[in-house]
Amino acid sequence: MPGLFSGLDEEPFMDPIDPTPDRIWSVSEVNSTIRKLIEGSADTLWIRGEVGNWKRYPSGHCYFSVKDDRSELRCVMFARDASTLPTDPDDGMEIRIFGKLTLYEKKGAYQMSVRLLESEGAEGLWRIAFEKLRSQLEVEGLLDLARKQPLPKHPAVVGIVTSTTGAALRDIISVLSRRAPWVRVLVRGTRVQGEGAASEISQAIRGLVATGKPEVIIVGRGGGSIEDLWAFNEEPVARAISESTIPVVSAVGHEIDVTISDLVADLRAPTPSAAAEEVVPDGTGIRENLSAVPGELAKGLQGMLQRRRSVIEHTLSHLGLGIDRKMQPVHQGLDNDFARLQAGLRSVLDLRRQRLIGVEGKLDALSPLATLRRGYSVARTGEDQILRSVHDFVEGDSFVLRVSDGEVIAETKGLQPGE
Amino acid sequence: MSEPEKKPDKLDESKVESQSLEERLRRLEEILSRLEDDDVPLEEALQLFEEGVGHVRDAERVLAQTELKVQELLENGDVQDMELD
Repeated sequence: MPGLFSGLDEEPFMDPIDPTPDRIWSVSEVNSTIRKLIEGSADTLWIRGEVGNWKRYPSGHCYFSVKDDRSELRCVMFARDASTLPTDPDDGMEIRIFGKLTLYEKKGAYQMSVRLLESEGAEGLWRIAFEKLRSQLEVEGLLDLARKQPLPKHPAVVGIVTSTTGAALRDIISVLSRRAPWVRVLVRGTRVQGEGAASEISQAIRGLVATGKPEVIIVGRGGGSIEDLWAFNEEPVARAISESTIPVVSAVGHEIDVTISDLVADLRAPTPSAAAEEVVPDGTGIRENLSAVPGELAKGLQGMLQRRRSVIEHTLSHLGLGIDRKMQPVHQGLDNDFARLQAGLRSVLDLRRQRLIGVEGKLDALSPLATLRRGYSVARTGEDQILRSVHDFVEGDSFVLRVSDGEVIAETKGLQPGE
Repeated sequence: MSEPEKKPDKLDESKVESQSLEERLRRLEEILSRLEDDDVPLEEALQLFEEGVGHVRDAERVLAQTELKVQELLENGDVQDMELD
């Protein structure tokens, strides 16, 4: 530190004590003077050292010391600057600070007012902050592959969280227009870098989810420095993404930039354009597939009819065989039955005939024909009145005489009544 | 045939207009695989065929849209059309 406090090296030179003071200073005057002296004579500078006694107050101001093997220097980093730190440094960490030397008048303590603080080691504070949050989320299971929600194949509404003025939005929109111009895009604009960006992004994600409209959400921004992309490494964004009930695709920066958002999202796209490619299908392909569908439907229907027909034919032939098999014993039985029936009928008829002949004999015996055959005859008038007495006859009239084998027409010649 | 027929397809007709492309394409896959089933009744097969052709027609109408609709969701929850240069 050339020029800084020259002459105040090892042993400060002291005048001999003068016991008669010509002026008496107040403490405040001394501290104020010293402060001006220090501030006026020392430029901003970088200091390297080891962090100790790091303390961040609720106000956001941070107090700590840097030391080497011999000395220690008190430091303060006010909230405005401390809020840009990705994380608090751990005690013992080698750091580099940039700022101005000053004096805290109230305590008379000189200190470094720090504007910038960076990690000296290979692992920067960003990396450390990233790893801290990553391992915390990992412990909570929020990085598990099993939590990843599948993306819809054909979303009707695509949500986007990014800056409305950024190149990322333009890139996404251009890809969506080319591939799937029928989708609706719902953009929730946010700042994507700087103080408060992380909380804006997380609110934007929650806002889109709350509408229930998008079927997939792209969260991201274009490329930039690690500080520019930092909002996507902050916890609020990680929480909002992991709590989203709608699948989220993270697309931050370029291919090489991996953020916490990428890790918790359902899908990580290397760039915003790539995210757009992922969320919608290519319309050309769908149209081609679709044009083949009516043919497939017809084929399906035909196939179904064909299968039905062969099933029916198969069933019918089976049925035919079955019937034949079933009917064979029936046929045989029927033949048997018929023969028995015939025989039965014949015997019944024979019996009837026998009996008829018997009855005929008796009838014959009783019939008047038999009497006639013995020589008797019956006389009747032409009107079929039986003539039983002499008085029934009239002289000169004709009558009919029934004999055993025919009839005789006769005439009454005379009447001779008996005694 | 005598049992009461379930007719999901009929019920669906009312919301055909509001069906998304996703639903239509998924339904088409269902229909195509159902038509390959051995036990699909003739009546149903014909209905499926008709429904499928309808979905193809409607999906093609959706796909015919050429202008991407971009809207912005404002902080107060309103939605407004967004002009992009």
